[in-house]
Amino acid sequence: MKNIIGIVNYGIAGNIHSVQKALEKAGGNTLIINKPSDFDLADKLVIPGVGSFKDAMQELENDGFISPIQEFSKPILGICLGMQIMANLGLEFGNTKGLNLIDAEVKPILCSGKIPHMGFNRITVENPNILLNGVESEKFYFMHSYEMVNYTDITALTKYSGHSFVSAIHKDNLYGVQFHPEKSREAGIKLLSNFINL
Amino acid sequence: MTRIIAKLDVKPPYVVKPVHFEGLRKMGDPSELAKKYYNQGADELFYIDIVSSLYQREILFDDIEKVANELFIPFAAGGGVKSIDDFSKMFHMGADKVVINTYAIQKDPSIIDKVAKIFGSQAVVVNIEAKRWQKHWECYTDCGRIQSQKDVSEWASEVEQRGAGEILLQSVDADGRCRGFDIELASKIVNLVNIPVVVSSGAGSLEDIKILIEVANPSGVAIASLLHYDRVTVQEIKKYLNNNVAMSI
Repeated sequence: MKNIIGIVNYGIAGNIHSVQKALEKAGGNTLIINKPSDFDLADKLVIPGVGSFKDAMQELENDGFISPIQEFSKPILGICLGMQIMANLGLEFGNTKGLNLIDAEVKPILCSGKIPHMGFNRITVENPNILLNGVESEKFYFMHSYEMVNYTDITALTKYSGHSFVSAIHKDNLYGVQFHPEKSREAGIKLLSNFINL
Repeated sequence: MTRIIAKLDVKPPYVVKPVHFEGLRKMGDPSELAKKYYNQGADELFYIDIVSSLYQREILFDDIEKVANELFIPFAAGGGVKSIDDFSKMFHMGADKVVINTYAIQKDPSIIDKVAKIFGSQAVVVNIEAKRWQKHWECYTDCGRIQSQKDVSEWASEVEQRGAGEILLQSVDADGRCRGFDIELASKIVNLVNIPVVVSSGAGSLEDIKILIEVANPSGVAIASLLHYDRVTVQEIKKYLNNNVAMSI
């Protein structure tokens, strides 16, 4: 198996390159996905994310990417906004329908700390998962103003300013992390290599 | 936990270190220094082309890409940014956040609203270059050279309202002097806004950083001279703070 990691390229806001760089550092064979037929070439998918929920969904629709992602049966890793859009509904700049893959809503973080939440924080594993093998007690980099509210598919939680939120999820072939593994030093590279080797 | 950020003030092709934003000294190659501070354990890296606005020349995107290449930590880049397209290009060169100052103050503050909506607030950093006038501070632009008539507190609140996700707070008076931060300024702005504030300008010792954190508690501290002159490493800063500051995590 060639094990090609497809990186979904959507929208003008791309952290595509840093994600690609990190995946290659982790030993991955990457392919940038620019059109719907490219999905057939990938063995796994990574959905990066920078920007707003609404714009992201609009771009995915314009590119014809919504059903190829929904129908992809092999492993998918969503990063930050890429995880959030797997939800049913996003509440950023009005209500927006998500990819409807995970029973969740994306809401503004409400806590006493400064928002956006930015910085390195530890994760607490709630349900052991192969994705987090060897990095269970590491710190990861967060950069977000919204959080995914989910009760059924939680892998890890993170505490910021006394407030716990979902920092990793897993359901069937779907994996998601709220933090940025591509910006989390060696721990992030290790997590990506766990995904590559799934 | 306060983020410890290495700050590169760049006058291509060199990292330079001004005193009071003047009198530049060459400190080294941006990619080399970026790698060095990454290996030392920096939480983030800021790269500011300090002469782009002043000389009114195009942004040197290739230089930025070169620095971003070997970093697996957040990377903020700025200097001479004046359009949505500039933001977009910066992200494609590997920046995670883009820093803006001169254009937003002099020409069009609404660019902050626009880029925050497109790229998300977390990707928009407003650089404030503050100069003290007795009991208030005024915003400067073009690397601390041009007065703007804007009061720092008012501008900080305005950029927060407009959607900025972070403020880089620099002091024209304290910068490069290595005699301590303008703590009063830092406390005032940290308490005023609800977005993260990264404080820069003035660190001359580990104790200066400790005092800043204890009194003003900013989200991040950006360090330049102390690191460039090899007076301390990022590890040493973190170790010192761990042992000497009772930090709420």
